[in-house]
Amino acid sequence: MVNSNADSAMGILFPNSYDSLVPELVAERLMASIPFASRYRMVDFVLSSMVNSGIDNISLIVKKNYHSLMDHLGSGREWDLTRKKGGLNIIPPFAQKTVNVYNGRVEALASILDYLKRQSEKYVIMADTNIAVNFDFADLLQQHIDSSADVTIAYTKEEIPADLVNIDITKKDLYYTLDVADDGRVKNIVVNDKESGEKNVSMNIYVINRKLLIEQIEAAYVSGLTYFERDIIAPKLGTLNVRGYQHTGYYARIVSTRSYFRENMKMLNADNVEGLFSPSPIYTKIRDDNPTRYMNGVHVKNVMAADGCIIEGEVENSILFRGVKIGKGAKVRNCVLMQDTVIETGADVEYTITDKNVHISAYKELKGTDSFPVFVEKRKNV
Amino acid sequence: MAKEMIAMLLAGGQGSRLYTLTQKLAKPAVPFGGKYRIIDFPLSNCVNSGIDTVGILTQYQPLVLNEYIGNGQPWDLDRLHGGVHVLPPYQQASGSDWYKGTANAIYQNISFIERYDPKYVIILSGDQICKQDYSDFLEFHKAKGAEFSVAVMEVPWDEAGRFGLMVTDENDKITEFQEKPKEPKSNLASMGIYIFNWNILKQYLIEDENDPSSENDFGKNIIPNLLRDKRDMYAYRFDGYWKDVGTISSLWEANMEVLDPENSGINLFDDSWRIYSRNSGMTGHRIGENAILENSMITDGCDIEGEVNHSILFAGVKVEKGAVIEDAVVMGGSVIKAGAQVKHCIIAENVVIEKDAVVGAMPEGDEKGVATIGSNVVIGEGAVIGPKAMVSSDVEGGGKVW
Repeated sequence: MVNSNADSAMGILFPNSYDSLVPELVAERLMASIPFASRYRMVDFVLSSMVNSGIDNISLIVKKNYHSLMDHLGSGREWDLTRKKGGLNIIPPFAQKTVNVYNGRVEALASILDYLKRQSEKYVIMADTNIAVNFDFADLLQQHIDSSADVTIAYTKEEIPADLVNIDITKKDLYYTLDVADDGRVKNIVVNDKESGEKNVSMNIYVINRKLLIEQIEAAYVSGLTYFERDIIAPKLGTLNVRGYQHTGYYARIVSTRSYFRENMKMLNADNVEGLFSPSPIYTKIRDDNPTRYMNGVHVKNVMAADGCIIEGEVENSILFRGVKIGKGAKVRNCVLMQDTVIETGADVEYTITDKNVHISAYKELKGTDSFPVFVEKRKNV
Repeated sequence: MAKEMIAMLLAGGQGSRLYTLTQKLAKPAVPFGGKYRIIDFPLSNCVNSGIDTVGILTQYQPLVLNEYIGNGQPWDLDRLHGGVHVLPPYQQASGSDWYKGTANAIYQNISFIERYDPKYVIILSGDQICKQDYSDFLEFHKAKGAEFSVAVMEVPWDEAGRFGLMVTDENDKITEFQEKPKEPKSNLASMGIYIFNWNILKQYLIEDENDPSSENDFGKNIIPNLLRDKRDMYAYRFDGYWKDVGTISSLWEANMEVLDPENSGINLFDDSWRIYSRNSGMTGHRIGENAILENSMITDGCDIEGEVNHSILFAGVKVEKGAVIEDAVVMGGSVIKAGAQVKHCIIAENVVIEKDAVVGAMPEGDEKGVATIGSNVVIGEGAVIGPKAMVSSDVEGGGKVW
């Protein structure tokens, strides 16, 4: 893909966005590094999609708990982002006279204004990492250019997930729904809509002209504004040409631990896997595991498993991440077992999410339900 | 900056005894063990032993191998100084020549070796499955004050005559070398892995090159010449897993041994000695509703709806409902369609076995063999491929190859 700067875009990701919705999962990490679909992390999807769409200058503005993300991304080689110009750029909070961690996108972007000014791309594409999606950013950018929009917002048509409707707005991240006119123009942005029925739910993927973004952020920062959507875009819908872009392909939106569980389980359906992993490949960190070994006497049904597992017992309807070990006579049903989980001999585990390096001892029983899966935190022995 | 020891990996062999598997592929690039290629073993051994400079000597079908090695990053061999280099024959002021033999291949790359000014050079072979710590070997070489050492394996006496044998004294000093003798005086078989003091190696390479009657081969020329001059030569006994996978049956057998690490000694599940490879980048594999699995290894990207028993499936293999796979090695991207039977065989990459086709058979009396299907071949619906067959081109539906 040959891109001249005239119509190219840089990417900015917000890896901490929506951390507040999944407190257990982000106890020692952030949204972007939550493991998903047996061998990936949430960030892999948007990051790979950007790379596959010809975007090779991508910044991640991190806020806290980002060690796991830095470890995962390294120099960005697996995403082909080890570049002299552009490439991968992780921006931790800058320690100022008083160390204050930003709230909302305005402060986050304000903290990298100088950097933004030095870039050469004409457009900026911003995204969160709580949606696993194989997204065609090139098509989004093309529509943005063709429609002479100032801002284009990607959305999906769906019922607002119940776990979002019921959140405590004072403690959780905000979500946005859009009124989109027939001509594609966004007429209204509703913050934390509680109406039922199908809505245009924002994916928080935005295309904006870089110079316009800089102007808007400078103005908003001076006025003490916080939220890009609520405080910048929503009030200017009359003067700015803000347009919607509907995503109709597959996506997995993580809005709660329960939805995390369900979205993983959806990977047991081959059509969903096809939807998420095509047309373009999703890249992730290489761990050099051996192939997964199934021993004599295993019973395995409806399972997605990564490399490096050793399975001796029974597994059904489950997602196994890299290096999971399931002992003889152990039963695992409807579970999401993250990297290097060990289920010992005879243990019986159902509707359970185990975080990395969890150890379930022999003959232990652990049972959750579909709507309330048990969650076992990182490195815990049960 | 001088390196203590660099490795030269002989990967030029055509591997003609692997027939259809090596028609478009150098032998070291042949897939092995679910997600590896043969060359991953010596390369990973190098890195795990602390050797960071490797020259790969190649001249036969180098395309796949070149692309696979790339800049060496999967093996951590992308280094500022050193790293991995693929070394095909090249034109020099004095003319150009194919590598005439193993020794000549090294001779033609003397200037490559000198760039690193090494004290020792280890010569490796690209057609063996072996996990070996070369730093132990080097320690032995230094402790003995050797000028040349060769890694050897004890083999059963009745098989010794098939190997190059090192006859040694009680200090492991080599007194005689027998190449495939009728009457073996030793059961220490050369593994084709040598450590030389570089000054000695260089001297003998030059001498060998100037001998017009020489075949320019380590086993036939260099080692006998060292013996003639009574150099300090030692045999280093290695007792781990080692297998020359130069034939279809030994390649199949080695793959099957991977399924039985407890007894075979080839453990790929060893965190302290990982084997690195260029990864497929595919999603986790899927085991469907109707799948039946027994003692098998399954790699990323596989999609299993049928029955898989005692087999190794490489990345992206699809096994449809009702298909049966037993004692088989199925390489990357191949598809086994509904009702097909695939037994006791090797299926190369991107093969399609159509519905109800039968490939290979479990051994029965004299009817035994490892059926082999070459890459990109399509075996038509209901076709039958016999247990000794070697198939390199498409077989029509209902066809029979015996």
